[in-house]
Amino acid sequence: MTKNYFTPIAIAMLALVTACSSSPKTTSLLEQARSDYRMAQINPGVVSYAALELRQARDALALADASAAKNDNAEKIDQLAYLSRQQTALTLEVAKKRTAEAEVANSAKDIDQILLAQRTNEADQAKINAEQSRLTAQIAQGQTAEAQRKADEARRVTEEAQRQAQQAQARNKQLEAQLADLAAKKTDRGLVITLGDVLFGTDQTRLNPEGMRTAQKLADVLQQNPLRKVLVEGFTDSTGTTAYNQELSERRATAVFSALQGMGVARDRVATRGYGEAYPVAANDTSLNRQMNRRVEIVLSDDTGRTTQR
Amino acid sequence: MHKYLKPSCLLIGCGALLLAVGCSSSMKTPAIADVAVSKAAVENAASAGGAEFAPVEMRSARDKLALANKAMASKDYKAAADWANQAQADAKLAESKADTASAQAASAALQDNIRVMREELERASK
Repeated sequence: MTKNYFTPIAIAMLALVTACSSSPKTTSLLEQARSDYRMAQINPGVVSYAALELRQARDALALADASAAKNDNAEKIDQLAYLSRQQTALTLEVAKKRTAEAEVANSAKDIDQILLAQRTNEADQAKINAEQSRLTAQIAQGQTAEAQRKADEARRVTEEAQRQAQQAQARNKQLEAQLADLAAKKTDRGLVITLGDVLFGTDQTRLNPEGMRTAQKLADVLQQNPLRKVLVEGFTDSTGTTAYNQELSERRATAVFSALQGMGVARDRVATRGYGEAYPVAANDTSLNRQMNRRVEIVLSDDTGRTTQR
Repeated sequence: MHKYLKPSCLLIGCGALLLAVGCSSSMKTPAIADVAVSKAAVENAASAGGAEFAPVEMRSARDKLALANKAMASKDYKAAADWANQAQADAKLAESKADTASAQAASAALQDNIRVMREELERASK
């Protein structure tokens, strides 16, 4: 019977040994090494930059796995697992290092780009500066030209004024010369030309040839000085009635007016007035004095055409 | 490192142990090489700035190199090779971390420069 008990025990022991040898052996360190490797395998940096190191890590892990498969002792498995883990860690470090190096390489490109942009900027700035100085110069030139133009204009105006003043002076001189011929006198009322009694004809209301010549001179003066007007005033002596003298003085003034009109002087430039025996220039005592009182005075206006009435 | 043995694996473990002891003299030369390589790796890591940028890995590498040397002294070449390999892995990781840190610093400095340049450019364009 003891023989019968032995067989199942032997079978059980055999089964135990078989189970032990067939169950895959592992250690916690090996498990960690495998886990580390799996993580490294899917790390993008490792995939890009540390393929060789990853292969070395795989080989190291394979050694540890093989050792485990051979049922080596835990110490040996752990030794190889440790080396595998360090190799995997090294792989990750290499990947990080090369990632940083790639960043540096890319940075070089960035720097080139920035330098290019900087140079473009500087060139643009230089262009803008040049354009600005060109505009500034242009403006300055324009201002100079404008100042020149203004100076020229001012000089021209001054010259014109001078010329006009000279002309006016010349005209005045000419006028004075002409009027000197007519024996014009400067008075408070302006230039006054006196036509004496002797310049009238026998009917005493028409100018004789000598009187006409004097009138012609006056007409010439008026033609050359178109702004001037005249006021013709007739006077008599005290002989005769006041009414007769008044009429006579008016007729004589009108005679001068008609003569001037006949010589082409416009109607509106000549005004007449008779004063009769008023305003004598001498006492009516002697015949000579009375002759002086019988006269026509012609008052010349200024350049504005105005004359002062008595 | 936990050391445990299943009863069923005892025989295999004993066999491996015998093999290791038997081979201990033949493992001397590769262990010397491993220690030398990891010593160089630690020195490289140190000169790359490992102590600054990866103090944990650097400390670990130095400690393990010391352990490897100690194992060499006690003629435990298997342990010496193991410690040396770990020290080398730690040192390489430390060096890599230092490299990464300086690359990232360079990148950051450059990004900073670029930012300043862009600002200047924007000011100049106005």
